[in-house]
Amino acid sequence: MKVVDVVCPFCGCLCDDLVVEVCDEKVVKVENGCTLASEKFLGDHRLQSPILREGFGWREIGYEEAISVAADILLAADLPLLYGWSGTHGEAQSVGVHLAEVLGGVIDNTSTVCHGPSILAIQEVGHPGCTLGQVKNRADVVVYWGANAIEAHPRHMSRYTTFTQGFFVKDAHLARTVIVVDTRRTETAEIADEFVQVEAGYDYEILSALRAIVRGREDVISGAVGGVAKTQLIRVAEICKRAKFGAIFFGLGLTMSAGKHKNIRNAIELVEELNRHTKWTISPMRGHWNVYGSNEVFTWISGYPFAVDFSRGIAFYNPGETTSVDILRRGECDACLVVGSDPGAHLPRACAAHLAKIPTIQLDPHVNATTHLATLQIPVAVSGIDAEGTAYRMDGVPIRVQKLVETKFPDDTEVLSAIYRRVREVKGQ
Amino acid sequence: MSGILVRNAFVIDPIKRISGEVMDIAIRDGWVVEDAGPDPVVIDASGCLTLPGGIDSHTHVCGTKVNFGRYMSPEDMRAGRTARRGVMHVTSGYSVPTTFGNSYRYSAMGYTTLLEGAMAPLEARHTHEEFTATPHQDMLANTLFDGNWSVMEAVRDRDIKRVAAIVAWTLSAVKGFAIKLTNPGGTEAWGWGQDVRGIHDQVPHFGVTPAEIISAMIEANEILRLPHSVHLHCNNLGVPGNYRTTLATIDLVPDLNPLRQSLYLTHAQFHAYGGSTWRDIDSRAEAICQAVNGKPIVMDMGQVMFGRTTTMTADGPMEWKLYMLHHNKWSNHDVELETGSGIIPVYYSRKSLVNCVMWAIGLELALLTNDPWQCLLSTDNPNGAPFVKYPEIIALLMSRRYREQEGTLLDPRTSHRTAIFSIDRELSWEEIAVMTRAGQAKALGITGLGKGHLGVGAAADLAIYPLDPDGIDPAVQVQEVIAGFSRTKYTIKRGRVVARDGEVIVEGANATIWSRSDVPSQYDMGQDPAFTEKFSQYYTVRMKNYPVQEAYLPRGVCIRTEAAL
Amino acid sequence: MRVLMNTGRSIRQGSYVERKNSQAYYDEASACRMHPVDMMDLGVEPGEHVRATGPAGSVVLHVLPADGVQRGEVFVTLGPYANHLVDAETRGTGMPDFKSTSIDLEPTGEDIATVAMLMEACGGVQYRGRDLE
Repeated sequence: MKVVDVVCPFCGCLCDDLVVEVCDEKVVKVENGCTLASEKFLGDHRLQSPILREGFGWREIGYEEAISVAADILLAADLPLLYGWSGTHGEAQSVGVHLAEVLGGVIDNTSTVCHGPSILAIQEVGHPGCTLGQVKNRADVVVYWGANAIEAHPRHMSRYTTFTQGFFVKDAHLARTVIVVDTRRTETAEIADEFVQVEAGYDYEILSALRAIVRGREDVISGAVGGVAKTQLIRVAEICKRAKFGAIFFGLGLTMSAGKHKNIRNAIELVEELNRHTKWTISPMRGHWNVYGSNEVFTWISGYPFAVDFSRGIAFYNPGETTSVDILRRGECDACLVVGSDPGAHLPRACAAHLAKIPTIQLDPHVNATTHLATLQIPVAVSGIDAEGTAYRMDGVPIRVQKLVETKFPDDTEVLSAIYRRVREVKGQ
Repeated sequence: MSGILVRNAFVIDPIKRISGEVMDIAIRDGWVVEDAGPDPVVIDASGCLTLPGGIDSHTHVCGTKVNFGRYMSPEDMRAGRTARRGVMHVTSGYSVPTTFGNSYRYSAMGYTTLLEGAMAPLEARHTHEEFTATPHQDMLANTLFDGNWSVMEAVRDRDIKRVAAIVAWTLSAVKGFAIKLTNPGGTEAWGWGQDVRGIHDQVPHFGVTPAEIISAMIEANEILRLPHSVHLHCNNLGVPGNYRTTLATIDLVPDLNPLRQSLYLTHAQFHAYGGSTWRDIDSRAEAICQAVNGKPIVMDMGQVMFGRTTTMTADGPMEWKLYMLHHNKWSNHDVELETGSGIIPVYYSRKSLVNCVMWAIGLELALLTNDPWQCLLSTDNPNGAPFVKYPEIIALLMSRRYREQEGTLLDPRTSHRTAIFSIDRELSWEEIAVMTRAGQAKALGITGLGKGHLGVGAAADLAIYPLDPDGIDPAVQVQEVIAGFSRTKYTIKRGRVVARDGEVIVEGANATIWSRSDVPSQYDMGQDPAFTEKFSQYYTVRMKNYPVQEAYLPRGVCIRTEAAL
Repeated sequence: MRVLMNTGRSIRQGSYVERKNSQAYYDEASACRMHPVDMMDLGVEPGEHVRATGPAGSVVLHVLPADGVQRGEVFVTLGPYANHLVDAETRGTGMPDFKSTSIDLEPTGEDIATVAMLMEACGGVQYRGRDLE
């Protein structure tokens, strides 16, 4: 059976035009998707049953026991950390926030090591953005800054920017100017009309220089900034000012390098400056398919997009203090529930070491790095393949991911709801 | 579920023409009935003003831009937070509270029905998700059509039936309630960083004017027989001298529906400015009221109250202009083929003459409109002020003395620029009841669902206030009025006591009310080649993935009509 | 040799991200991409191993030439190998220095640890069950 218009639960592009062939409750073919999508849909390497660590070995257990062990661990903790969430659907994230609330724990999502700094910048200066279709239909200048779309968001350029025609941009490839700013000459840089290769750590200075030029103060710029010649900066600023509709997409090249949120703030303020001349927007290249959804869900329930600490009863937010890396580095949490993420692989070593020290429960379909650190792993259905629910695309557009095949695995919502019910029962709520 | 008997209530029910009668109200299975059945729970409401549940016909509480207002404003989240308590979840936020915060605070004030003022169709799923997390009010969503490409093309082609068909398809797809136009044409122009400056300006590239969009939509609305009228946020919001645009817009409105208005003008305060710059701005509330009096138009105040708040609207270009004044922080979010939006935080200061004039205009509009059914109470929450300020606004409308007291704190020039301090009128309890629930129910066209009144068969949504109209003089006892309207003694929603003395005591389960107009098959846009082409060529979401699935409306209430096509 | 380590995504890393115990993921995540001239200076050929030492610890990687990487920098895909070097300090932002960690490289003949071994080195217990791949 062929299913059309399937949504891909891999990256923040959330492409919804895949054609997936299903045979005997298995995905056998994927069309329209990128390499990442094919691997995601066709890969079948699931952990088959919950596993519980006992000493230096593992025991397979049933779901009922797993849920009861998980609830007991969380109930026994003084400060549980509920981490991850970008790899699951919104309904599960919502149960997660309420679980953290009842437990008096901390809930944080993977934007903490991704676009967390972007959120901090937006909280300082706001965010002039738009949906991706605005860019597709109007943009004549597109900038990728510290973002390697071809490898991290393989269809971003063909669906939303460079290679797709839009209502006002009929001959996309010729009509759009592409500027890439990066320290590396990436695959994305290879197709740029203008590649600006910056010295690592100098994004902030270069953004400031561009702001000055756009303001008509090129006199304050020296001959080169951060490895970029002044002549190129002036040329880039001119392209930006002459645009009818410009769009900056930025990635972890800005959020993770020196300056972090201040880089993003400067980029947003460049866009603000450009809006005094013409139309410009700026958008983060959100990584995981539903990391933006975790920000949205956390926000409407708790008021904050990530790093929410309920240990005082109220929702408390102080990035740098209530963020996962900091909590783990300081060894503050005494249990951890990981959902839809792999902190063992993606957090610094000291964090992994603390996860190994405390009881760590993981809800994940696959054996990953965190498995080796965990006390308990509960395999769940994969949202978008054998579970359905809501996801938010990198631009905030909500899309429902489908359930394509029947499964023996419960989904995240079911497992979390069962844990939540049990925790409330024990707490008498 | 056992019945409830509300005893000795002081009832004002303008729709049923009950004005201050002491009576009992029987409730069973969520409805007002003749007989509450055996052993009802008895609620003693003696000496308590008892009204139908409050209805807010224009508020921003759920959806993409509201949530972005929270997301970008940790300072606002910190400014209003409560811990988990009983059945109540944690809440955060002052001007843009979390969904549970909105729901609890509205419930404490006796509100049981809310209309979200602006939902972008492409992002409708988000609004519905937040509706589900706003459990103590029934929810409705205004659906944005101001920059809808398909609509503008049909308007340009003078094909009203096609306009109607597009609206019908979209409302049904996104489970919207009514047509909202926010700065029609202007949000599309903002896609290029431009705006329209009047109702006869051309929208770039589309060959239509705002006036043509407005007129066509008013007509299409009646073809579809939708419960509510077109809900319009006029062009030129917040611009000195914009009253001319508003008057010209009012002139466009025909009288097409005997049951209700043909146009709803939202947050009229922001559209009633004279002068030509911020230096010489003055009030033109009188001119607006004169134009509205007797016309098939209902407006809401859009009252400004002093203090901190967050502005949020689909009107992207307006937010940019406001940002250029405030230079605080600015968010913008344009939505492909449909609309835009913007958010900035503001502080309305008594020391700002412009803010004082705005404050006065809202009150003038309410006091100079002869018929309270034509001017409803709102702050365009949170644009003019957070909704928790409603009790203060009620008190201002009921007491000339309170207005004068406030006046002493304002820029003294306020009395030269506005007529507020020369107005003697003090609104009655009954007029307040009209302006906070009955008028909304009628204007939205939901009295048939049992909203806005307490007759037998009505939805058992009640607000029982600790206010004794026989014992309080609202012209004098201002603080009692404010306190009374801030916290009900009981809020009853669909036959259950949901809040008592300001505390929410049960987990809620609301309904979402949406409209569906059935059209003949040749008008089904789902089969229309040019319309479906929009999805395959220009939207970034496939047509199949666009409609909001039933899963998002666990308790959907559909108002179904037969289109006159 | 002291270099600045940049981490980030690659299409292969993404493709095998749900199979972190596979050979393909191991190959990609433990690759240290560097400028060919820097490789000459360090005296390593493509595929040879280096011991990388950073603020958080030390790990063995294999070297690949990459013209796009500037001299004095190396690129390692995000993952457990890079994270064996990155410090958990966030300077009050919540975000570690994933793209601005200085590391030292020296040629080595040592083997590259598997992901499971790295996690064991962090205090975990290797899962060797039937669903490992």
